[in-house]
Amino acid sequence: MTVIAALPTSGPGAGEQFEQLYRSSAADVYAYVASLLRDRTAAEDVTALAFERAFRRRALFDVRRGTPRSWLFAIARNAALDELRKRRRTGALLHEIADPSTELEDLDSELAERRLLVREGLASLEPRDREVILLKFVGRLSNAELARVLRCSESNAGTRLHRAIERLREVCGVTR
Amino acid sequence: MSRDELNASEREELAALDRILAREPVGEQHLELAALVDSVRAGAPRMDPAFAERLDARLAAHRRRGGAAGARVARPGIRRLALAGSGLVAAAVAFTIVISSGVLSGGTTHPPAPANGPALSILPRKAPGATTTPTGATSAFAGSSVGAVPSTNLSVGRSLSARLVHRDSALTLATSPASMQSVANRIVAATEQRGGVVESSNVAIQGPASHASFSLAVPTGRLGSLIAALSSLASVRALNQNSNDITSSYNAEQARLADNVAARAALLKALATAATATQQASIQKQLNRLAARIAAEQRELDRLLGQGHTATLHVSVVAGASAKHAKASAGPFTTAFHRALHALEEILAIALVVLAIVLPFALTALALWWGATAVRQRARERAMRTA
Repeated sequence: MTVIAALPTSGPGAGEQFEQLYRSSAADVYAYVASLLRDRTAAEDVTALAFERAFRRRALFDVRRGTPRSWLFAIARNAALDELRKRRRTGALLHEIADPSTELEDLDSELAERRLLVREGLASLEPRDREVILLKFVGRLSNAELARVLRCSESNAGTRLHRAIERLREVCGVTR
Repeated sequence: MSRDELNASEREELAALDRILAREPVGEQHLELAALVDSVRAGAPRMDPAFAERLDARLAAHRRRGGAAGARVARPGIRRLALAGSGLVAAAVAFTIVISSGVLSGGTTHPPAPANGPALSILPRKAPGATTTPTGATSAFAGSSVGAVPSTNLSVGRSLSARLVHRDSALTLATSPASMQSVANRIVAATEQRGGVVESSNVAIQGPASHASFSLAVPTGRLGSLIAALSSLASVRALNQNSNDITSSYNAEQARLADNVAARAALLKALATAATATQQASIQKQLNRLAARIAAEQRELDRLLGQGHTATLHVSVVAGASAKHAKASAGPFTTAFHRALHALEEILAIALVVLAIVLPFALTALALWWGATAVRQRARERAMRTA
């Protein structure tokens, strides 16, 4: 994973830095947003919106308040939650994603069974637990970055993450 | 242990999770966690290549459209902005106070006009139902606040219900010898403008040894205004202000007068009933002595009341470098510095006024913005809970 320490807003490197952030994060942001919204079309819109918003607001990025990646995920999270609020108001239906990449036919039966179990277990988790697992596992955020996105302390983020993992294990029937 | 604290094995597991995500090797006990991570990541939705291309194009177009507009100057955080603003306001206030106090201009600013209020004025109130005996005395201070004060003879036998205070001040001014005559003329004019009189004056124009002195009488209520006006004519070297409460003297004199008036009334009665010429002559003699005493007491009362009504101001003008003269003879840089300082003072005063107007609106807007942000964030968290 490429780590971008800062996000210059001007100068010759500004465009390249943002491009680098986009290239390194786009797939993860999309995966996180799509998992949160469970709707491919909406996820695409929200992902694009998040990057556009990040580009517009790049001057506001403050390196002391987190990394560019955590800042980007916070923007994506807000955009996704706004989309959820809009859907709740309009009563739009959620369409569960059936990602072709997650087709399990080609895998050996044990692995396929485990992945199916985990996918179902993740879907059955409380949204807050599911979110923290997605941000960590898919977004690959550090605990400090996680805390920044979730607006809590780093120790609280760690606790929330650990409890979410325990619940995922529990619903998946996984033992250590 | 607090709710947020993890035990050692839990912390170790989270550390192992970070290593797994960084594709670093982990111990056997964490292989199950690695498998869990792998399953979650494998099940995560993947970006459709077609969407990836569309996203590239959309962002490229967005960057072309808003690249220049997007590259805004980095803004400082609200906290820094608030700190800077507070510091600026404090500095402006401090600077204005310092400049207004005259510290930077060498203490040559004019002293504030003394209070003209009733505290230092004379201020007997006319006693209701007091007997009046016109004396024909005239005041030299027509139109002054003294007009409200009753004449001495209006209240024989009654004490003052307010304090009677005599004020006596001395003001020393410094001006250039060349402007001595002009300053002297303006002192006289300012005194007369305020209903005062010049009791004595002495102006000597002798080059560097020029000097002038004045003894001025002015209605007590206008003393402060006169001092302020004279202070603006030249540089103030010294100002002494004294006040002397003469209420008790006035009341004692008035009591004596009342006694004598009563004694005279008794003698007049006795005169009317005197049987012999010898008795009449004796009473008449006593009446004559009393009349002389009453007249003297009346004069004393008038004098005391006059002292309360009238303040005296002794003005001395000496030749010397007044502040204005010093400014005039100062070099262009000093003059420019003083002017710049004055301009800065004016600007800061205006800035303070503007700030006083703008600040409440800005704070209200900030509070509204903060409230709206908090409400929106809460709504988002609610949306997450019900997702």
